[in-house]
Amino acid sequence: MTDDIIIRGKGITKKFGDFTAVDNIDVEVRRGEIFGFLGPNGAGKTTTIRIMTTLIPPTSGEIEIEGHTVKGLDDPVKEKVGIIQQHIALDNDVSVRENIRYHAILHRIPRKEAKERMDRLINMMGLEPYLDRMAINLSGGWKRRVAIVNALIHDPSILVMDEPTAGLDTQSRHMLWKLIRELNSHGTTVFVTTHYMDEAEELCDRIAIIDHGKIIAQGTPEELCRELGSFAVEYVTEGSDKQYRYFHERSEALQFRDSLPEGAQVTTRNTNLEDVFLELTGRENTQAVQEVEYRI
Amino acid sequence: MGILDETFRVAWGDLVYMKGNMIEVLLSSLVGPLLYLLAFGFGVGGNMEDPAAYVKYIIPGIIALTTLSATFSTVSMKILVQRLFYMSFDELLLCPIHISAIILGKLVQGVARALISCTILLVVGWLLSPQVVISPWIFVLIIVASMMFSLLGLLAGMLTNKTQTLTLFSSIVIIPMTFLCGTLFDSSTLPDGISFIIYCLPLTHVSNLMRGLMLPEYSIGLDSIVIVAIYVAVLFSICYYMIKNNKC
Ligand SMILES: Nc1ncnc2c1ncn2[C@@H]1O[C@H](COP(=O)(O)OP(=O)(O)OP(=O)(O)O)[C@@H](O)[C@H]1O
Ligand SMILES: [Mg+2]
Repeated sequence: MTDDIIIRGKGITKKFGDFTAVDNIDVEVRRGEIFGFLGPNGAGKTTTIRIMTTLIPPTSGEIEIEGHTVKGLDDPVKEKVGIIQQHIALDNDVSVRENIRYHAILHRIPRKEAKERMDRLINMMGLEPYLDRMAINLSGGWKRRVAIVNALIHDPSILVMDEPTAGLDTQSRHMLWKLIRELNSHGTTVFVTTHYMDEAEELCDRIAIIDHGKIIAQGTPEELCRELGSFAVEYVTEGSDKQYRYFHERSEALQFRDSLPEGAQVTTRNTNLEDVFLELTGRENTQAVQEVEYRI
Repeated sequence: MGILDETFRVAWGDLVYMKGNMIEVLLSSLVGPLLYLLAFGFGVGGNMEDPAAYVKYIIPGIIALTTLSATFSTVSMKILVQRLFYMSFDELLLCPIHISAIILGKLVQGVARALISCTILLVVGWLLSPQVVISPWIFVLIIVASMMFSLLGLLAGMLTNKTQTLTLFSSIVIIPMTFLCGTLFDSSTLPDGISFIIYCLPLTHVSNLMRGLMLPEYSIGLDSIVIVAIYVAVLFSICYYMIKNNKC
């Protein structure tokens, strides 16, 4: 059903000179879901988000939001979207309160309503003690909280977040997860990028993995794990680095474990999203590990 | 009207900064012009046959140059900082606001600065030389001129990616323009080639128009009105094109 797709990107491509940062990707985000967009550094996540939010034009392809093709910077459909950029974007030379009010004003929120929403969000983020400080004097995590309030001030039905938990302490991260879940339970669709796989696994209904500008896998976290093999064996034999094998059946995993030489350190566990991610995008030292093996 | 309402919404961010930093705003936009008045009006003018006539001559010029000095550097630097260091310019672009309102909104702080400092200079000028004519048209000219130079600042702030480039542009274009465009002396006495270049520069015409409005013995040149209008239209169009096509 097409009505279920709230964001649809069709054949999005972005070239910077000869370099293709985003390579003909199709994304479909369903209404009411939390969609995770994962990928290593430089994969093209931020570029995709900047195209989706009209900050940069795609080389080709188009974006539909709520079935409406996004036409440009001043397209009114953007009112439905709240964005937390990867780089914290605050006016550093005015106070936190003024930063938040500015967003309320830009979004044409009537005074009284703006005040109510500001109070609620400020309270939720625990920002009261910082309201009269210059934004520049806040620590990174607190700046990010202000950015979160800014993104939510107009009650968007779609929330796009580019690494919202980067630089947050554990408490704040948990608080943000809780907030995201709460907003989501009230119908907000969430599009989020993150480098924390545990976070993605716990939070996201569906996930797309992007590498070198291409989407290389898509599905629910369970589906992705199942595809790789739900049972993981992690082992270290003498003289080699940690190695991984994945199996569809528990019995196969156990059999493999028993076939390993005496003295190997072995862990058998369920496959997680981090395994999927690393297998698909390449474990950093794969090459080196193989060379060691050959020499032995 | 939609655009006007959005313009003030965009401008709010810069105005709230001005409100909180009024002393800095006044110092940065008034000290220069007052020093010119002192150095030229009394220093240079003091050695002339008729010092009072010279003071009267430069008052409109100094008000004209203030529409440039109070706007260009603040607007350009602010845009550059908001684009590259605070990244808050993107936040503005993320809101569905008309591009014209973004441009006009970003000019408001320049216009406000120019209006405040030019008004103070008008009062000072009138005290020093009560023969000058003060009319509402002067304020119209201040608004139009400061919009023009703020547009130039907006454009410079969107085109450059280094504060050094802005400073360089300031010292090789803006500062010379401040002195040479008929503000402090009659530029028609300069060599032909140079005086043609000067004629093409926008401040020359602001200066001519201001003198025409304030001093009865000078007339208002139609060419100056046309040239200023062309500058405003062209600068606005370039800014519009740049934002529309994500070139900033
Ligand atoms: N304006 C630009 N000009 C040239 N190359 C760019 C530009 N913006 C991004 N790139 C390149 O595009 C690629 C994708 O960058 P992008 O910021 O989208 O990655 P990302 O997936 O968000 O990475 P990260 O996880 O580090 O945030 C990178 O190789 C980057 O260098
Ligand atoms: Mg990124």
